[in-house]
Amino acid sequence: MILKKIKQRAFSNILDSITTLIIISFIIISLTTILKWIFFSANWSVVKINLPLFFFGSFPKDQLWRPGLWMSLIAILSFATLLAPRWKWVPKFLPILWISFAPLGIFLLGGGLGLSPVESRNWGGLTLTILLTSFSAILSLPLGIVLALGRQSELPVIRKASSLYIDTMRSVPLIAVLFFGQLLIPLFLPIGLEINRVYRAIIAFTLFVSAYLAEDIRGGLQSVPKTQREAGEVLGLHPLQITCLIILPQALRVALPSLTNQAVGLLQNTSLMAILGLVELLGIGRSILANPEFIGRYIEVYVWLAALYWVVCTLMALIARHLEKQMALEKRG
Amino acid sequence: MLPIVKATNLTKSYAKGIRALDNISISVDPGEVLVVMGPSGSGKSTLIRTFNGLETFDSGQLNVLGIPLGSNHNEERKIRRIRKRVGMVFQQFNLFPHLSILENITLAPIKVQKKKRDEAEHEALVLLTQMGIESHAQKYPSQLSGGEQQRVAIARALALKPELLLFDEPTSALDPERVNEVLDAMRRLAEQGMSMVVVTHEVNFAKEVGDKVLFMDSGKVIETSTPDIFFLDAKHQRSRKFLNQIKKK
Repeated sequence: MILKKIKQRAFSNILDSITTLIIISFIIISLTTILKWIFFSANWSVVKINLPLFFFGSFPKDQLWRPGLWMSLIAILSFATLLAPRWKWVPKFLPILWISFAPLGIFLLGGGLGLSPVESRNWGGLTLTILLTSFSAILSLPLGIVLALGRQSELPVIRKASSLYIDTMRSVPLIAVLFFGQLLIPLFLPIGLEINRVYRAIIAFTLFVSAYLAEDIRGGLQSVPKTQREAGEVLGLHPLQITCLIILPQALRVALPSLTNQAVGLLQNTSLMAILGLVELLGIGRSILANPEFIGRYIEVYVWLAALYWVVCTLMALIARHLEKQMALEKRG
Repeated sequence: MLPIVKATNLTKSYAKGIRALDNISISVDPGEVLVVMGPSGSGKSTLIRTFNGLETFDSGQLNVLGIPLGSNHNEERKIRRIRKRVGMVFQQFNLFPHLSILENITLAPIKVQKKKRDEAEHEALVLLTQMGIESHAQKYPSQLSGGEQQRVAIARALALKPELLLFDEPTSALDPERVNEVLDAMRRLAEQGMSMVVVTHEVNFAKEVGDKVLFMDSGKVIETSTPDIFFLDAKHQRSRKFLNQIKKK
Protein backbone atom coordinates (compact mmCIF):
# COMPACT_ATOMS: atom_id res chain seq x y z
CA MET A 1 0.00 0.00 0.00
CA ILE A 2 2.55 2.55 1.12
CA LEU A 3 5.12 1.17 -1.31
CA LYS A 4 2.61 1.54 -4.11
CA LYS A 5 1.97 5.14 -3.15
CA ILE A 6 5.68 5.94 -3.01
CA LYS A 7 6.15 4.33 -6.39
CA GLN A 8 3.28 6.35 -7.79
CA ARG A 9 4.41 9.66 -6.38
CA ALA A 10 8.19 9.50 -6.62
CA PHE A 11 9.05 6.97 -9.35
CA SER A 12 6.27 7.32 -11.89
CA ASN A 13 8.71 7.94 -14.77
CA ILE A 14 12.43 8.14 -15.41
CA LEU A 15 12.73 11.87 -14.81
CA ASP A 16 10.87 11.58 -11.51
CA SER A 17 13.02 8.67 -10.43
CA ILE A 18 16.22 10.55 -11.15
CA THR A 19 15.02 13.62 -9.30
CA THR A 20 13.97 11.53 -6.32
CA LEU A 21 17.32 9.75 -6.20
CA ILE A 22 19.28 12.99 -6.45
CA ILE A 23 17.25 14.60 -3.66
CA ILE A 24 17.55 11.53 -1.43
CA SER A 25 21.29 11.25 -1.90
CA PHE A 26 21.70 14.96 -1.26
CA ILE A 27 19.73 14.67 1.97
CA ILE A 28 21.72 11.62 3.10
CA ILE A 29 25.07 13.22 2.36
CA SER A 30 24.27 16.50 4.09
CA LEU A 31 22.65 14.79 7.07
CA THR A 32 25.59 12.47 7.64
CA THR A 33 28.03 15.35 7.34
CA ILE A 34 26.05 17.47 9.76
CA LEU A 35 25.44 14.66 12.24
CA LYS A 36 29.06 13.55 12.06
CA TRP A 37 30.14 17.09 12.83
CA ILE A 38 27.64 17.49 15.67
CA PHE A 39 28.49 14.22 17.39
CA PHE A 40 32.17 13.65 16.58
CA SER A 41 34.02 16.72 15.27
CA ALA A 42 32.39 19.46 17.30
CA ASN A 43 33.70 20.20 20.77
CA TRP A 44 30.67 21.19 22.78
CA SER A 45 32.57 21.83 25.99
CA VAL A 46 32.48 25.55 25.17
CA VAL A 47 28.69 25.44 25.36
CA LYS A 48 28.49 23.06 28.31
CA ILE A 49 30.86 25.04 30.49
CA ASN A 50 29.21 28.36 29.68
CA LEU A 51 25.62 27.21 29.84
CA PRO A 52 24.69 29.54 32.75
CA LEU A 53 26.32 32.42 30.86
CA PHE A 54 24.24 31.77 27.76
CA PHE A 55 21.06 31.74 29.73
CA PHE A 56 21.63 34.28 32.49
CA GLY A 57 24.75 36.31 31.64
CA SER A 58 27.07 37.17 34.50
CA PHE A 59 24.28 37.24 37.06
CA PRO A 60 25.59 36.73 40.63
CA LYS A 61 25.87 32.97 41.22
CA ASP A 62 23.91 32.95 44.47
CA GLN A 63 21.01 34.83 42.83
CA LEU A 64 20.71 32.67 39.73
CA TRP A 65 17.32 31.39 40.89
CA ARG A 66 15.82 34.76 40.02
CA PRO A 67 16.34 34.75 36.24
CA GLY A 68 15.85 30.98 36.38
CA LEU A 69 12.46 31.38 38.00
CA TRP A 70 11.48 34.05 35.50
CA MET A 71 12.47 31.95 32.49
CA SER A 72 10.62 28.92 33.85
CA LEU A 73 7.53 31.07 34.38
CA ILE A 74 7.68 32.17 30.76
CA ALA A 75 8.03 28.58 29.60
CA ILE A 76 5.07 27.52 31.76
CA LEU A 77 3.02 30.47 30.52
CA SER A 78 3.81 29.63 26.89
CA PHE A 79 2.71 26.03 27.27
CA ALA A 80 -0.34 27.06 29.27
CA THR A 81 -1.32 29.35 26.39
CA LEU A 82 -0.90 26.56 23.87
CA LEU A 83 -2.93 24.13 25.97
CA ALA A 84 -5.34 26.73 27.29
CA PRO A 85 -8.55 25.60 25.58
CA ARG A 86 -8.50 22.40 27.65
CA TRP A 87 -9.01 24.31 30.90
CA LYS A 88 -11.78 26.83 30.70
CA TRP A 89 -10.64 29.13 33.48
CA VAL A 90 -7.14 29.71 32.15
CA PRO A 91 -7.85 32.00 29.15
CA LYS A 92 -9.30 34.68 31.40
CA PHE A 93 -6.04 35.13 33.27
CA LEU A 94 -3.65 34.67 30.38
CA PRO A 95 -3.69 38.24 29.01
CA ILE A 96 -3.05 39.68 32.49
CA LEU A 97 -0.23 37.22 33.08
CA TRP A 98 1.35 37.99 29.70
CA ILE A 99 1.26 41.72 30.36
CA SER A 100 2.60 41.42 33.89
CA PHE A 101 5.48 39.08 33.20
CA ALA A 102 7.73 41.77 31.69
CA PRO A 103 7.57 44.05 34.79
CA LEU A 104 8.01 40.90 36.89
CA GLY A 105 11.20 40.26 34.94
CA ILE A 106 12.53 43.72 35.74
CA PHE A 107 11.73 43.15 39.41
CA LEU A 108 13.31 39.69 39.56
CA LEU A 109 16.43 40.81 37.67
CA GLY A 110 16.88 44.27 39.14
CA GLY A 111 15.89 43.46 42.69
CA GLY A 112 14.33 45.79 45.22
CA LEU A 113 11.43 45.11 47.61
CA GLY A 114 13.41 42.56 49.57
CA LEU A 115 15.54 41.22 46.75
CA SER A 116 19.14 42.36 46.69
CA PRO A 117 19.73 44.79 43.81
CA VAL A 118 21.68 43.52 40.82
CA GLU A 119 23.12 46.05 38.41
CA SER A 120 21.95 45.92 34.83
CA ARG A 121 25.45 45.29 33.53
CA ASN A 122 25.20 41.85 35.08
CA TRP A 123 22.01 41.04 33.21
CA GLY A 124 22.65 39.04 30.11
CA GLY A 125 22.21 36.08 27.86
CA LEU A 126 18.87 34.72 26.75
CA THR A 127 17.23 36.32 29.79
CA LEU A 128 18.23 39.77 28.61
CA THR A 129 17.17 39.02 25.04
CA ILE A 130 13.70 38.02 26.20
CA LEU A 131 13.49 40.94 28.62
CA LEU A 132 14.35 43.42 25.85
CA THR A 133 11.89 41.80 23.46
CA SER A 134 8.98 41.45 25.83
CA PHE A 135 9.30 44.87 27.39
CA SER A 136 9.67 46.66 24.07
CA ALA A 137 6.77 44.69 22.59
CA ILE A 138 4.44 45.40 25.49
CA LEU A 139 5.27 49.12 25.46
CA SER A 140 5.17 49.58 21.71
CA LEU A 141 1.78 47.93 21.18
CA PRO A 142 -0.23 50.64 22.98
CA LEU A 143 1.99 53.35 21.47
CA GLY A 144 1.44 51.82 18.03
CA ILE A 145 -2.32 51.77 18.59
CA VAL A 146 -2.32 55.42 19.64
CA LEU A 147 -0.21 56.38 16.60
CA ALA A 148 -2.43 54.41 14.23
CA LEU A 149 -5.55 56.05 15.65
CA GLY A 150 -3.79 59.41 15.57
CA ARG A 151 -3.02 58.97 11.91
CA GLN A 152 -6.75 58.62 11.27
CA SER A 153 -7.77 61.45 13.58
CA GLU A 154 -10.04 64.20 12.34
CA LEU A 155 -7.84 66.81 14.04
CA PRO A 156 -5.18 67.89 11.53
CA VAL A 157 -2.55 68.59 14.21
CA ILE A 158 -2.75 65.07 15.66
CA ARG A 159 -2.93 63.47 12.23
CA LYS A 160 0.08 65.37 10.89
CA ALA A 161 2.10 64.77 14.06
CA SER A 162 1.43 61.01 13.99
CA SER A 163 2.26 60.78 10.30
CA LEU A 164 5.44 62.76 10.76
CA TYR A 165 6.54 60.53 13.63
CA ILE A 166 5.74 57.29 11.81
CA ASP A 167 7.38 58.35 8.56
CA THR A 168 10.47 59.69 10.29
CA MET A 169 10.97 56.52 12.33
CA ARG A 170 10.50 54.35 9.30
CA SER A 171 13.10 56.23 7.32
CA VAL A 172 15.82 55.84 9.96
CA PRO A 173 17.74 52.58 10.32
CA LEU A 174 17.19 50.76 13.61
CA ILE A 175 20.86 50.81 14.50
CA ALA A 176 20.83 54.62 14.31
CA VAL A 177 17.87 54.75 16.70
CA LEU A 178 19.70 52.40 19.05
CA PHE A 179 22.83 54.55 18.97
CA PHE A 180 20.61 57.54 19.64
CA GLY A 181 19.17 55.73 22.65
CA GLN A 182 22.57 54.80 24.07
CA LEU A 183 24.46 58.01 23.36
CA LEU A 184 22.00 60.87 23.12
CA ILE A 185 19.29 60.09 25.67
CA PRO A 186 21.75 60.63 28.57
CA LEU A 187 22.62 64.06 27.13
CA PHE A 188 19.00 65.15 27.11
CA LEU A 189 18.34 64.10 30.67
CA PRO A 190 18.87 66.54 33.56
CA ILE A 191 22.09 65.99 35.49
CA GLY A 192 21.71 63.46 38.24
CA LEU A 193 18.98 61.52 36.50
CA GLU A 194 20.37 58.46 34.85
CA ILE A 195 18.62 55.68 32.99
CA ASN A 196 20.52 52.45 32.73
CA ARG A 197 21.52 51.02 29.39
CA VAL A 198 18.90 48.30 29.29
CA TYR A 199 16.10 50.79 29.77
CA ARG A 200 17.63 53.08 27.16
CA ALA A 201 17.66 50.18 24.72
CA ILE A 202 14.02 49.39 25.56
CA ILE A 203 13.07 53.03 24.95
CA ALA A 204 14.86 53.04 21.59
CA PHE A 205 13.27 49.75 20.49
CA THR A 206 9.83 50.95 21.60
CA LEU A 207 10.15 54.22 19.68
CA PHE A 208 11.23 52.36 16.56
CA VAL A 209 8.93 49.35 16.59
CA SER A 210 5.81 51.33 17.47
CA ALA A 211 6.04 53.17 14.14
CA TYR A 212 5.93 49.86 12.27
CA LEU A 213 3.20 48.46 14.51
CA ALA A 214 1.19 51.63 13.85
CA GLU A 215 1.26 50.98 10.12
CA ASP A 216 0.19 47.34 10.58
CA ILE A 217 -2.65 48.42 12.88
CA ARG A 218 -3.69 51.13 10.44
CA GLY A 219 -4.10 48.43 7.83
CA GLY A 220 -6.36 46.59 10.28
CA LEU A 221 -8.34 49.74 11.04
CA GLN A 222 -8.94 50.37 7.36
CA SER A 223 -10.32 46.87 6.94
CA VAL A 224 -13.19 47.59 9.36
CA PRO A 225 -16.13 48.97 7.36
CA LYS A 226 -17.40 52.44 8.23
CA THR A 227 -20.85 51.02 8.83
CA GLN A 228 -19.52 49.37 12.01
CA ARG A 229 -18.92 52.81 13.48
CA GLU A 230 -22.41 53.88 12.38
CA ALA A 231 -23.95 50.83 14.01
CA GLY A 232 -22.23 51.79 17.24
CA GLU A 233 -23.25 55.44 16.98
CA VAL A 234 -26.87 54.50 16.47
CA LEU A 235 -26.78 52.59 19.76
CA GLY A 236 -25.77 55.77 21.58
CA LEU A 237 -22.23 54.57 22.31
CA HIS A 238 -19.57 57.20 22.98
CA PRO A 239 -16.98 57.59 20.17
CA LEU A 240 -14.27 56.28 22.49
CA GLN A 241 -16.38 53.24 23.34
CA ILE A 242 -16.94 52.60 19.65
CA THR A 243 -13.20 52.70 18.99
CA CYS A 244 -12.27 50.46 21.93
CA LEU A 245 -15.14 47.97 21.85
CA ILE A 246 -16.00 47.71 18.18
CA ILE A 247 -13.28 49.01 15.87
CA LEU A 248 -10.03 48.06 17.63
CA PRO A 249 -10.87 44.43 18.43
CA GLN A 250 -11.66 43.80 14.78
CA ALA A 251 -8.65 45.77 13.53
CA LEU A 252 -6.18 43.98 15.83
CA ARG A 253 -7.55 40.63 14.73
CA VAL A 254 -6.80 41.51 11.12
CA ALA A 255 -3.39 42.92 12.02
CA LEU A 256 -2.35 39.99 14.23
CA PRO A 257 -0.26 38.09 11.64
CA SER A 258 1.80 41.18 10.83
CA LEU A 259 2.09 42.07 14.52
CA THR A 260 3.57 38.62 15.18
CA ASN A 261 5.95 39.18 12.35
CA GLN A 262 7.12 42.38 14.01
CA ALA A 263 7.54 40.61 17.35
CA VAL A 264 9.75 37.91 15.83
CA GLY A 265 11.70 40.60 13.99
CA LEU A 266 12.09 42.51 17.23
CA LEU A 267 13.52 39.47 19.01
CA GLN A 268 16.12 39.05 16.30
CA ASN A 269 16.88 42.75 16.20
CA THR A 270 17.75 42.77 19.90
CA SER A 271 20.96 41.06 18.79
CA LEU A 272 22.04 44.47 17.42
CA MET A 273 22.58 45.47 21.04
CA ALA A 274 25.64 43.21 21.01
CA ILE A 275 27.33 45.91 18.93
CA LEU A 276 26.34 48.52 21.51
CA GLY A 277 27.81 46.62 24.40
CA LEU A 278 24.88 44.78 25.94
CA VAL A 279 25.65 41.13 26.58
CA GLU A 280 22.39 39.65 25.38
CA LEU A 281 22.42 36.27 23.69
CA LEU A 282 24.65 37.25 20.75
CA GLY A 283 26.74 39.53 22.95
CA ILE A 284 27.46 36.75 25.41
CA GLY A 285 28.48 34.50 22.49
CA ARG A 286 30.93 37.13 21.30
CA SER A 287 32.40 37.68 24.71
CA ILE A 288 32.85 33.94 25.25
CA LEU A 289 34.63 33.67 21.92
CA ALA A 290 36.92 36.49 23.00
CA ASN A 291 38.09 34.34 25.93
CA PRO A 292 41.46 32.74 24.96
CA GLU A 293 40.33 29.48 26.55
CA PHE A 294 37.70 28.97 23.84
CA ILE A 295 39.54 30.39 20.89
CA GLY A 296 38.49 29.07 17.50
CA ARG A 297 35.19 27.57 18.69
CA TYR A 298 33.20 29.91 16.45
CA ILE A 299 31.10 27.32 14.70
CA GLU A 300 29.98 25.55 17.85
CA VAL A 301 28.98 28.79 19.55
CA TYR A 302 27.13 30.23 16.57
CA VAL A 303 25.33 26.95 15.82
CA TRP A 304 24.25 26.81 19.43
CA LEU A 305 23.07 30.44 19.31
CA ALA A 306 21.17 29.78 16.09
CA ALA A 307 19.46 26.80 17.73
CA LEU A 308 18.47 28.89 20.76
CA TYR A 309 17.07 31.71 18.60
CA TRP A 310 15.26 29.13 16.52
CA VAL A 311 13.60 27.55 19.55
CA VAL A 312 12.44 30.89 20.96
CA CYS A 313 11.17 32.22 17.62
CA THR A 314 9.38 28.98 16.83
CA LEU A 315 7.70 29.08 20.21
CA MET A 316 6.58 32.66 19.52
CA ALA A 317 5.28 31.71 16.09
CA LEU A 318 3.42 28.73 17.54
CA ILE A 319 1.73 30.86 20.18
CA ALA A 320 0.79 33.47 17.59
CA ARG A 321 -0.66 30.88 15.22
CA HIS A 322 -2.54 29.39 18.13
CA LEU A 323 -3.97 32.83 18.96
CA GLU A 324 -5.02 33.39 15.36
CA LYS A 325 -6.77 30.03 15.29
CA GLN A 326 -8.49 30.79 18.58
CA MET A 327 -9.81 34.07 17.22
CA ALA A 328 -10.94 32.53 13.96
CA LEU A 329 -12.74 29.86 16.01
CA GLU A 330 -14.41 32.51 18.11
CA LYS A 331 -15.68 34.17 14.99
CA ARG A 332 -17.05 30.97 13.54
CA GLY A 333 -17.90 29.40 16.88
CA MET B 1 -50.32 64.59 21.51
CA LEU B 2 -46.92 65.84 20.38
CA PRO B 3 -45.57 64.19 17.24
CA ILE B 4 -42.51 61.94 17.75
CA VAL B 5 -40.78 63.39 14.72
CA LYS B 6 -41.59 66.76 13.30
CA ALA B 7 -39.60 68.05 10.35
CA THR B 8 -40.23 71.48 8.89
CA ASN B 9 -38.71 72.61 5.59
CA LEU B 10 -35.70 70.30 5.85
CA THR B 11 -33.22 70.98 3.10
CA LYS B 12 -29.86 69.43 2.37
CA SER B 13 -27.77 69.82 -0.75
CA TYR B 14 -24.48 68.29 -1.79
CA ALA B 15 -21.54 70.20 -3.19
CA LYS B 16 -22.61 69.94 -6.82
CA GLY B 17 -25.96 71.56 -6.07
CA ILE B 18 -27.85 68.27 -6.04
CA ARG B 19 -30.64 68.46 -3.50
CA ALA B 20 -30.79 65.35 -1.34
CA LEU B 21 -33.61 66.85 0.70
CA ASP B 22 -35.74 69.60 -0.75
CA ASN B 23 -37.97 71.48 1.64
CA ILE B 24 -39.38 68.45 3.39
CA SER B 25 -42.04 68.76 6.09
CA ILE B 26 -43.50 65.69 7.74
CA SER B 27 -44.58 64.49 11.14
CA VAL B 28 -44.83 61.08 12.76
CA ASP B 29 -47.30 60.56 15.61
CA PRO B 30 -46.75 58.14 18.49
CA GLY B 31 -47.69 54.58 17.50
CA GLU B 32 -47.73 55.46 13.85
CA VAL B 33 -46.02 53.48 11.08
CA LEU B 34 -44.77 55.76 8.34
CA VAL B 35 -43.64 53.99 5.17
CA VAL B 36 -41.24 55.93 2.96
CA MET B 37 -41.15 54.87 -0.69
CA GLY B 38 -39.50 56.19 -3.79
CA PRO B 39 -36.96 55.36 -6.49
CA SER B 40 -33.33 54.92 -5.46
CA GLY B 41 -31.50 58.21 -5.01
CA SER B 42 -34.69 59.99 -4.06
CA GLY B 43 -33.40 60.89 -0.59
CA LYS B 44 -35.40 58.35 1.48
CA SER B 45 -32.36 57.06 3.37
CA THR B 46 -30.95 60.54 3.80
CA LEU B 47 -34.23 61.66 5.30
CA ILE B 48 -34.50 58.97 7.96
CA ARG B 49 -30.80 59.24 8.72
CA THR B 50 -31.29 62.88 9.70
CA PHE B 51 -33.76 61.70 12.37
CA ASN B 52 -30.94 60.23 14.50
CA GLY B 53 -28.16 62.54 13.43
CA LEU B 54 -26.34 60.22 11.02
CA GLU B 55 -26.83 62.92 8.39
CA THR B 56 -26.80 66.66 8.89
CA PHE B 57 -29.04 69.12 7.07
CA ASP B 58 -28.50 72.65 5.83
CA SER B 59 -31.68 74.43 6.80
CA GLY B 60 -35.08 73.83 8.35
CA GLN B 61 -36.17 72.51 11.72
CA LEU B 62 -36.22 69.01 13.10
CA ASN B 63 -37.69 67.92 16.39
CA VAL B 64 -37.24 64.32 17.50
CA LEU B 65 -38.89 63.16 20.76
CA GLY B 66 -39.16 66.76 21.86
CA ILE B 67 -35.45 67.42 21.32
CA PRO B 68 -34.90 70.14 18.72
CA LEU B 69 -32.02 69.59 16.30
CA GLY B 70 -30.58 72.55 14.42
CA SER B 71 -28.72 72.63 11.16
CA ASN B 72 -25.40 73.45 12.85
CA HIS B 73 -23.07 70.53 13.24
CA ASN B 74 -22.02 70.65 16.88
CA GLU B 75 -24.84 68.96 18.66
CA GLU B 76 -23.18 65.69 19.59
CA ARG B 77 -24.68 65.57 23.06
CA LYS B 78 -28.22 66.18 21.85
CA ILE B 79 -27.76 63.66 19.09
CA ARG B 80 -26.55 61.03 21.55
CA ARG B 81 -29.57 61.72 23.75
CA ILE B 82 -31.80 61.10 20.76
CA ARG B 83 -29.92 57.96 19.72
CA LYS B 84 -30.46 56.41 23.13
CA ARG B 85 -34.21 56.64 22.50
CA VAL B 86 -34.32 55.89 18.75
CA GLY B 87 -33.37 52.48 17.36
CA MET B 88 -32.17 51.89 13.81
CA VAL B 89 -31.98 48.83 11.58
CA PHE B 90 -29.76 48.91 8.49
CA GLN B 91 -29.98 47.28 5.11
CA GLN B 92 -26.72 45.37 5.69
CA PHE B 93 -27.57 44.41 9.31
CA ASN B 94 -24.21 45.83 10.55
CA LEU B 95 -23.90 43.35 13.41
CA PHE B 96 -20.57 43.29 15.22
CA PRO B 97 -18.81 40.22 13.78
CA HIS B 98 -16.41 39.78 16.72
CA LEU B 99 -19.20 39.57 19.31
CA SER B 100 -21.66 36.75 19.89
CA ILE B 101 -25.34 37.36 19.22
CA LEU B 102 -25.97 37.84 22.92
CA GLU B 103 -23.03 40.27 23.24
CA ASN B 104 -24.23 42.19 20.19
CA ILE B 105 -27.52 42.83 21.93
CA THR B 106 -26.26 43.47 25.45
CA LEU B 107 -23.41 45.82 24.43
CA ALA B 108 -25.46 49.02 24.43
CA PRO B 109 -27.61 48.25 27.51
CA ILE B 110 -24.45 47.49 29.51
CA LYS B 111 -22.25 50.30 28.18
CA VAL B 112 -24.82 53.04 27.54
CA GLN B 113 -27.56 52.36 30.08
CA LYS B 114 -25.10 50.88 32.63
CA LYS B 115 -27.30 47.86 33.23
CA LYS B 116 -26.00 44.81 35.09
CA ARG B 117 -24.81 42.03 32.79
CA ASP B 118 -27.28 39.47 34.19
CA GLU B 119 -30.21 41.79 33.73
CA ALA B 120 -29.14 42.79 30.21
CA GLU B 121 -28.65 39.16 29.19
CA HIS B 122 -32.00 38.18 30.57
CA GLU B 123 -33.71 40.95 28.62
CA ALA B 124 -31.74 40.07 25.49
CA LEU B 125 -32.93 36.47 25.71
CA VAL B 126 -36.53 37.66 26.01
CA LEU B 127 -36.05 39.76 22.85
CA LEU B 128 -34.41 36.87 21.00
CA THR B 129 -37.32 34.64 21.95
CA GLN B 130 -39.73 37.23 20.58
CA MET B 131 -37.75 37.18 17.35
CA GLY B 132 -37.75 33.38 17.35
CA ILE B 133 -33.97 33.00 17.39
CA GLU B 134 -33.18 32.34 21.06
CA SER B 135 -31.31 29.15 20.12
CA HIS B 136 -28.63 31.21 18.36
CA ALA B 137 -27.71 33.34 21.39
CA GLN B 138 -24.18 31.96 21.73
CA LYS B 139 -23.38 31.91 18.01
CA TYR B 140 -21.57 34.54 16.00
CA PRO B 141 -23.21 36.66 13.27
CA SER B 142 -21.40 34.91 10.40
CA GLN B 143 -23.06 31.62 11.39
CA LEU B 144 -26.56 33.01 10.85
CA SER B 145 -28.59 33.47 7.69
CA GLY B 146 -29.38 36.98 6.48
CA GLY B 147 -32.93 36.86 7.82
CA GLU B 148 -31.71 35.69 11.22
CA GLN B 149 -29.02 38.37 11.29
CA GLN B 150 -31.57 41.05 10.51
CA ARG B 151 -33.81 39.81 13.32
CA VAL B 152 -30.82 40.01 15.66
CA ALA B 153 -30.30 43.58 14.44
CA ILE B 154 -33.92 44.36 15.31
CA ALA B 155 -33.48 42.81 18.75
CA ARG B 156 -30.32 44.88 19.21
CA ALA B 157 -32.22 48.05 18.33
CA LEU B 158 -35.02 47.07 20.73
CA ALA B 159 -32.64 46.39 23.61
CA LEU B 160 -32.47 50.08 24.47
CA LYS B 161 -36.31 50.19 24.67
CA PRO B 162 -36.58 52.85 21.96
CA GLU B 163 -39.59 55.06 21.46
CA LEU B 164 -39.06 55.14 17.71
CA LEU B 165 -37.57 52.59 15.31
CA LEU B 166 -36.02 53.55 11.98
CA PHE B 167 -35.73 50.89 9.27
CA ASP B 168 -33.50 51.62 6.28
CA GLU B 169 -34.52 49.09 3.60
CA PRO B 170 -34.39 46.21 6.09
CA THR B 171 -35.23 43.49 3.58
CA SER B 172 -33.37 44.68 0.48
CA ALA B 173 -30.27 42.60 1.18
CA LEU B 174 -32.16 39.38 1.94
CA ASP B 175 -32.92 36.29 -0.13
CA PRO B 176 -36.55 36.48 -1.28
CA GLU B 177 -37.60 33.51 0.85
CA ARG B 178 -36.10 35.17 3.94
CA VAL B 179 -37.93 38.47 3.54
CA ASN B 180 -41.12 37.42 5.28
CA GLU B 181 -39.57 36.33 8.56
CA VAL B 182 -38.22 39.86 8.97
CA LEU B 183 -41.43 41.55 7.83
CA ASP B 184 -43.43 39.39 10.26
CA ALA B 185 -41.24 40.51 13.13
CA MET B 186 -41.77 44.14 12.09
CA ARG B 187 -45.51 43.57 11.76
CA ARG B 188 -45.69 42.26 15.34
CA LEU B 189 -43.81 45.34 16.56
CA ALA B 190 -46.29 47.59 14.81
CA GLU B 191 -49.16 45.69 16.42
CA GLN B 192 -47.58 46.30 19.81
CA GLY B 193 -47.83 50.02 19.10
CA MET B 194 -44.20 50.78 18.24
CA SER B 195 -43.69 54.00 16.30
CA MET B 196 -41.77 53.20 13.13
CA VAL B 197 -40.41 54.90 10.06
CA VAL B 198 -39.74 52.30 7.38
CA VAL B 199 -37.95 52.83 4.09
CA THR B 200 -38.94 49.87 1.96
CA HIS B 201 -40.07 48.64 -1.44
CA GLU B 202 -42.38 45.99 0.05
CA VAL B 203 -45.80 46.99 -1.21
CA ASN B 204 -47.72 44.41 0.80
CA PHE B 205 -46.05 45.43 4.02
CA ALA B 206 -46.83 49.08 3.30
CA LYS B 207 -50.46 48.24 2.55
CA GLU B 208 -51.05 46.09 5.63
CA VAL B 209 -48.92 47.75 8.28
CA GLY B 210 -48.41 51.32 7.16
CA ASP B 211 -50.55 54.11 8.56
CA LYS B 212 -49.18 56.63 6.09
CA VAL B 213 -47.14 56.36 2.92
CA LEU B 214 -44.67 59.08 2.03
CA PHE B 215 -43.58 59.07 -1.58
CA MET B 216 -40.34 60.88 -2.44
CA ASP B 217 -38.56 61.71 -5.66
CA SER B 218 -35.39 63.81 -6.17
CA GLY B 219 -35.42 64.94 -2.56
CA LYS B 220 -39.00 66.18 -2.65
CA VAL B 221 -42.08 64.81 -0.97
CA ILE B 222 -44.42 64.10 -3.88
CA GLU B 223 -47.30 62.71 -1.91
CA THR B 224 -48.34 61.71 1.59
CA SER B 225 -51.42 59.50 1.71
CA THR B 226 -52.92 56.59 3.55
CA PRO B 227 -51.97 53.25 1.93
CA ASP B 228 -55.51 52.72 0.67
CA ILE B 229 -55.42 55.89 -1.38
CA PHE B 230 -51.76 55.63 -2.38
CA PHE B 231 -51.88 52.12 -3.79
CA LEU B 232 -55.36 52.27 -5.38
CA ASP B 233 -55.75 55.84 -6.42
CA ALA B 234 -52.51 57.79 -6.09
CA LYS B 235 -52.96 61.51 -6.42
CA HIS B 236 -49.87 62.22 -8.46
CA GLN B 237 -48.77 61.11 -11.89
CA ARG B 238 -45.22 60.46 -10.60
CA SER B 239 -46.49 58.15 -7.86
CA ARG B 240 -48.57 56.15 -10.33
CA LYS B 241 -45.63 55.74 -12.67
CA PHE B 242 -43.48 54.45 -9.78
CA LEU B 243 -46.16 52.01 -8.65
CA ASN B 244 -46.58 50.69 -12.19
CA GLN B 245 -42.86 50.03 -12.42
CA ILE B 246 -42.86 48.18 -9.10
CA LYS B 247 -45.80 46.03 -10.19
CA LYS B 248 -44.01 45.00 -13.37
CA LYS B 249 -41.32 43.38 -11.25
